[in-house]
Amino acid sequence: IQLLEVTQHVETHKHIKSDDHKLSTEELEEKYGTSISKGLSSARAAEILARDGPNSLTPPKATPEIVKFLKQMVGGFSILLWIGAAFSWISFGIQFAQGAESPFDNLYLGVVLALVVILTGIFAYYQEAKSTNIMASFSKMIPQQALVIRDAEKKELPADQLVVGDIVEIKGGDRIPADIRLIFTQGCKVDNSSLTGESEPQSRSCDFTHENPLETRNIAFYSTTCVEGTATGIVINTGDRTIIGRIASLASGVGNGKTPIAIEIEHFVYLVAGVAISIGVLFFIISVSMRYKILDSIIFLIGIIVANVPEGLLATVTVSLSLTAKRMAKKNCLVKNLEAVETLGSTSIICSDKTGTLTQNRMTVAHLWFDDQIYSADTSEDQTTQPFDQSSQTWTALSKIVTLCNRAEFRPGQENLPVMKRVVVGDASETALLKFAEVVLGDVMDIRARNKKVAEIPFNSTNKFQLSIHETDDRNDKRFLLVMKGAPERILERCSTIMINGKEEPLDSEKAEAFQTAYMELGGMGERVLGFCHLYLPENEFPDTYPFDTDSMNFPTSNLCFVGLLSMIDPPRSTVPDAVSKCRSAGIKVIMVTGDHPITAKAIAKSVGIISATSETVEDMAKRLNVPVERVDRRQATAAVVNGMELKDMSLQQLDEVLCNHSEIVFARTSPQQKLIIVEGCQRQGAVVAVTGDGVNDSPALKKADIGIAMGIAGSDAAKNAADMVLLDDNFASIVTGVEEGRLIFDNLKKTIAYTLTKNIAELCPFLIYIIASIPMPIGTITILFIDLGTDIIPSVALAYEKAESDIMNRRPRNKSKDRLVNEQLAVYSYLHIGIMQSVGAFVTYFTVYAEQGFLPTTLLGVRVNWESNAINDFEDSYGQEWTKYQRTYLQWTGYTAFFVSITIQQVADLIIRKTRRNSIFQQGLFRNKVIWVGIFSQIGIALILTYGLGHVTALNFTPLRFQYWFVAVPFAILIWVYDEVRKLFIRRYPGSWWDKNMYY
Amino acid sequence: MATLSEKKTCSERMENFRRFIWNPETKQFMGRTLINWVWISLYYLAFYVVMTGLFSLSLYSLMRTLNPYEPDYQDQLKSPGVTLRPDVFGERGLQIYYNVSDNKTWDGFITTLQTFLTAYTPAAQHLNINCTSDTYFIQDTFDGPNKTKLSCKFTSDMLQNCSGLTDPTFGFPEGKPCLIIKMNRIIKFYPGNGTAPRVDCTYVGDDSRPLEVDYYPVNGTFNLHYFPYYGKKAQPTYTNPLVAVKLLNITRNEEFKIVCRVVGTGIISDNVHDPYEGKVEFRLKIDD
Repeated sequence: IQLLEVTQHVETHKHIKSDDHKLSTEELEEKYGTSISKGLSSARAAEILARDGPNSLTPPKATPEIVKFLKQMVGGFSILLWIGAAFSWISFGIQFAQGAESPFDNLYLGVVLALVVILTGIFAYYQEAKSTNIMASFSKMIPQQALVIRDAEKKELPADQLVVGDIVEIKGGDRIPADIRLIFTQGCKVDNSSLTGESEPQSRSCDFTHENPLETRNIAFYSTTCVEGTATGIVINTGDRTIIGRIASLASGVGNGKTPIAIEIEHFVYLVAGVAISIGVLFFIISVSMRYKILDSIIFLIGIIVANVPEGLLATVTVSLSLTAKRMAKKNCLVKNLEAVETLGSTSIICSDKTGTLTQNRMTVAHLWFDDQIYSADTSEDQTTQPFDQSSQTWTALSKIVTLCNRAEFRPGQENLPVMKRVVVGDASETALLKFAEVVLGDVMDIRARNKKVAEIPFNSTNKFQLSIHETDDRNDKRFLLVMKGAPERILERCSTIMINGKEEPLDSEKAEAFQTAYMELGGMGERVLGFCHLYLPENEFPDTYPFDTDSMNFPTSNLCFVGLLSMIDPPRSTVPDAVSKCRSAGIKVIMVTGDHPITAKAIAKSVGIISATSETVEDMAKRLNVPVERVDRRQATAAVVNGMELKDMSLQQLDEVLCNHSEIVFARTSPQQKLIIVEGCQRQGAVVAVTGDGVNDSPALKKADIGIAMGIAGSDAAKNAADMVLLDDNFASIVTGVEEGRLIFDNLKKTIAYTLTKNIAELCPFLIYIIASIPMPIGTITILFIDLGTDIIPSVALAYEKAESDIMNRRPRNKSKDRLVNEQLAVYSYLHIGIMQSVGAFVTYFTVYAEQGFLPTTLLGVRVNWESNAINDFEDSYGQEWTKYQRTYLQWTGYTAFFVSITIQQVADLIIRKTRRNSIFQQGLFRNKVIWVGIFSQIGIALILTYGLGHVTALNFTPLRFQYWFVAVPFAILIWVYDEVRKLFIRRYPGSWWDKNMYY
Repeated sequence: MATLSEKKTCSERMENFRRFIWNPETKQFMGRTLINWVWISLYYLAFYVVMTGLFSLSLYSLMRTLNPYEPDYQDQLKSPGVTLRPDVFGERGLQIYYNVSDNKTWDGFITTLQTFLTAYTPAAQHLNINCTSDTYFIQDTFDGPNKTKLSCKFTSDMLQNCSGLTDPTFGFPEGKPCLIIKMNRIIKFYPGNGTAPRVDCTYVGDDSRPLEVDYYPVNGTFNLHYFPYYGKKAQPTYTNPLVAVKLLNITRNEEFKIVCRVVGTGIISDNVHDPYEGKVEFRLKIDD
């Protein structure tokens, strides 16, 4: 079924015109000009290689590096800064042409602005490139080798050298190196899960079994694996022309949109740019109408733009995101796209795979039934003992069958590994039984050696059992032991007795009934059940020289003694139930999408909590109420198990209804193609959808999802390429930690932005007051850049390390249209409350410096023109002293420094208040985030260096400030802190009040 | 990654905007109900009143800490600046360019000088005392009227030939212009360490040729009894002492760069950043 869907899927886009599977070996030899015994000649192979290209998938088209780089140069605030730089150069040009005194100031300013854009652009580019590199190094794998016959010789070649017509040999464990038409097979089984998502291995033979090339048994596909057996085949497709290649190229066609955080940042940039431009233009008009020269007005405009634009912020955001990405990588979530870090946090629906993600991806014995009783086995990842009652004689018999009637073996040389980690040669059920026996009984191989096998009939699909005959390890007992396992009903048919408490009892209808009940119960749990029986062959009939012949079956295979049932399941990972319940309390809907059988899917969903214990499906309700399914009110069922076949017949509205009405949904028997439909359905509900996947044909769904999560271990390259994130341990629980980190970074980015925006007002006010009141310039443009790109950078990154204020996993995912990163409250509170306080504090420092040096506040009003005049060198201060231009300029720089220092001091307070948005600082703890202190010390350290270290470099406009001026703004810093504590107190006291609505950001 | 943003049409945007301005369903004007607007306005009013109050309080307490007579610090005023009259400031600094035969070119200079010297008429100086001592005029007490200190008289006649009294054209038509050098006031600044600082004018860059000048008062000194200055509040009638420089032998039709330094201990004139500290440079060109 699934293969058919893939075919349809592929066929709708590219028609597969292949009849290689119908051709005979000779026709194939002719078609591809090859010989099965000799292979291609090297020369011919080289020719074809030159024609077709290497046998590898073309990686998805990457954006050229230069385009990425240029994007960084013009994105975000860069445009505004470029405008600022352009204005600076224009005014320089004009002033230079007019021959003014110091036109070079504007030239330098323009250069500095351009440098700021270029440097932050390079930085952002570098950050991006770094995170991409992690991915690149990850996806680089050991080159695959293929065994090829060329020039009549067997050769090991890198798989990408294969060409059409090559004869390749594969064996169990190999990855199929290209699309291959099989010409010789021996017990060959392939795992097509990377293509179809179906985990059951499928047998392969040379026979043409189906019209459809994808269904026929004599073709093996590129990137699937050969599980067991050997095969030889002719390469019929290579590289992008393979089926996988076609699907992969299909995935790259699915559009790539913006991440939620990118939208938020864009929104924020528009907001700030809007404020900057409107204030700039407003004051341009004001200054022109106040009869300032146009040139001066342009210079004011530059100042206003520079003050308004948080130059360092976007770099900070990038750093914060990459810090989180690093943290997530430690927790096994590898993020390919930095912005996806946050997307995970806003996720509202997770469409998860079952196999491997929710489950351990290995069959494990889950239950046993013997002595008319069901026992549970330990299915955790690292079992070392099994706690169930092992005293019964029946168990001894059962364990013997389990041990002996089993062809699976451990690969040698793994004695020191825990049992569960050892590699086994054999199929999934046998592996499960082997490991189970090894855990319970100890050295299985030794037991097998002591009970020598004399005959064996391997499992086949016609008789549905497996049988072997052994000598026993009991020296006194010369009887042979016949052990058999298989489909329970078939095993029971062959039995006439049943072992209860070690004694054989006749199998009457009552006992058969008990068997049926147990069988149904285990089967109902979605488990694969096997029956076990044995028979001690009478010594007189079967002496130790008896020639057992498995073809003629010269031994009894009926009237055996039934011993017990064992049921196996791919058990959920032990961390998953907890993770699912975390998701639930975090308001995230977990939808299971699996190719497995509905019963198994539902059982796993129940055991991990995707379907909670109390909720029922429509079918459950019908069963409970004893009414037909049609009469049950569908709305009352919280859970739903939707079969792929049902899904196929559903209209989009019906699907929407299912997604809407049920909170717990399992999609079973779905094809990977349907996964895409489900994802689209979820997105129609306005959800941010995370999708996990590992197969190649998951890649369209991974791309379509808001965040595609590929499995690092089981995942195919195509899935990893299409995904935004890779789970290194394939564990669902890692997604939940990722969600937590994503939510945290969203909160923390809010804090960072609030912190950064605040001082913009303190940088902007000086310009406005300078224009209106004509006081000496309180702060220079260069100084502003030193705050934005100097003192403020490390503190704002430090906020990314802030711990969550409350359990962020207890609230609903953010509503992407309402819960903005930068909302009105944040902007208003930062700009109009804290920003204003900062400005007042900084202006008090400014006036203090000027007053103590001789210019009282009243004297300063309206002095701008004379103050800045080069011609006036005996400018009188409030005390009658006279100042030269340079002396005034130096004082002005001292004013800049004082203003800078006050902003820095108050930003320390701002940093501390931004640690929390709701809780008191005392609840959050001042010392829990050590990085904040690094931030504070760096801030003050940089300010000290600028002031005292570089205070003599005139170009920087810093002067060694008298030490006491550092403390003028301290009362205002304390005021900021107190005000914010009061704000938070009222928010906590009166939730939902007017205050809460207006003050909580 | 799926596309999250759906494009809106222009009319939808307009409609959204209209709804934002006035939403009839919720009775919201620009996102708030009217009563909400009243509350928020009241809050901001109160907030800004408090902030203004805090600002005023801070400035008030700042003013309370200040000494009305002298500033707390004179970090920038270690050494006085020197200025020139007439002070015509062109593109390349101070420049005195004129044509002897064209009185329009030097009328402005004369007016500037005359206006400048009106502060030095006996009438303007009548509150100041005559000082004779050649030492610093140190006053520890307030001897003047209304708790002020006394200031020494400096009248324009002390500039003799350059006073504008004998020659109202200050020598401009003869090509021997008078220029006045003034040293900036700095509170409690003691120039020269006991010796009166004097003005010394030279050509810039061409040391070999001496500049012929007459200084008024004699030797071009600033008498020590004008120092120290005690500030506007203590000495409201204080006027800076002046030195006039009469350039005697200037080659016509040639531009010169001349520097006049004030020479004295504690007066710095080699600050690379400040061209007006302790000296004044100007360009001179007299045409005929």
